[in-house]
Amino acid sequence: MVGTRRDILLGGLALLGVGAIQKPAFAVASSNFAGTAVDNGVTFQKTNFAKIDRKWHRQVVKYFSSEPIGTVVVDTRHHFLYVIMENKTAIRYGVGVGREGFKWFGRATIDAKSLWPRWTPPPEMRKRHPELPEFVDGGSPKNPLGPRAMYLHRDGVDTGYRFHGTLEPGSIGKDASSGCIRMFNEDAIDLYQRCPIGTAVQVLPHIADQAEKATQVSQASPVE
Amino acid sequence: MRNIALMPVTIGYAARLVAAAMLLALTACTTPDIASVEEPAAVPMTGQTNDPAPGFENVKVGSEEDFILNVGRRIYFAQDSAALDSVAKATLDSQAAWLNSNPNWLLKLQGFADDSGSASTMETLSQKRADAAMVYLASKGVDAGRMWAKGYGMDREVRDCEDRSCKVQNRRVVVNLRTQRDGV
Repeated sequence: MVGTRRDILLGGLALLGVGAIQKPAFAVASSNFAGTAVDNGVTFQKTNFAKIDRKWHRQVVKYFSSEPIGTVVVDTRHHFLYVIMENKTAIRYGVGVGREGFKWFGRATIDAKSLWPRWTPPPEMRKRHPELPEFVDGGSPKNPLGPRAMYLHRDGVDTGYRFHGTLEPGSIGKDASSGCIRMFNEDAIDLYQRCPIGTAVQVLPHIADQAEKATQVSQASPVE
Repeated sequence: MRNIALMPVTIGYAARLVAAAMLLALTACTTPDIASVEEPAAVPMTGQTNDPAPGFENVKVGSEEDFILNVGRRIYFAQDSAALDSVAKATLDSQAAWLNSNPNWLLKLQGFADDSGSASTMETLSQKRADAAMVYLASKGVDAGRMWAKGYGMDREVRDCEDRSCKVQNRRVVVNLRTQRDGV
């Protein structure tokens, strides 16, 4: 990869920032990727799903909770995101969620979404991590949003939270983010296709069906 | 809905509460289970949330389950529009690629509409949506002889609804894989 000095500097800064937030483990991270793919003109590293617990793979499951068809439901405790389908089924994705103190719950709608979005760290995050750049270009291999972002609004106001891709497939299934819901890049691309603007989102501590089990699941330890 | 009787009875108080709430919702609900109409015969579901859905235990390349999981059957439209946006085209591109590598499947394109106009307007719109998807797939090399399109207007809404999140679900085309043509 050839980049200008500024690119390298920016990339380095972004990596630093991301590192501070997400604790990269390079040896692990490298095995979590295998090969490359091209999406909308951007070449990106493919997730090495052979190395990822099958539990976190995208799959179609039975779903008996009551949310209506088309709703996106996040079970924060169990690190799953569901798109509700017909006949008591759902597509389930493994996700990474906010670490302790950065969790949030509630209803929202997907009111905007974008391809290879530029990442602008929110002011609060830059306060915590002054080394973060003002922004990271979309499509940059250092952009933590990855190939897609879906922006969650409530009553027309941006909540600041998003569904997006990740630079760290190993953080899927963990409490690692600053509140955003992160997905394998392939899954972020897939979800983007399935969620029209206006899609209802419910971010729950856990889905109703999992109430009993939830009390038995020990808190996943936050990364960092 | 009919699954309530089949839900495991071993679970505790919270689950019983949920079941009771669902039952309440059921009695208040007068609309039929419309979503199932667009599906090939739905098997009553037993088991638990997070079990693999029937047929999805081991998804084979080229199967209907493969298509549902890895391609997606639905595309969505803006209100009163049958125009394909870039997202719809991206899904159709994936569908075309999949259909071209799995040439034995036939497909029925089902168009739907929300309730933004009269029943006849919505029926026309839903047919236009299904036709637009079919024309696009054909332009990507899918043999026109494998496809047929039908608009259902607002007859078969995903849910009977008022809110925006619900209406967007009804402005859609669903690609259903078939092994044979519909009977007359």
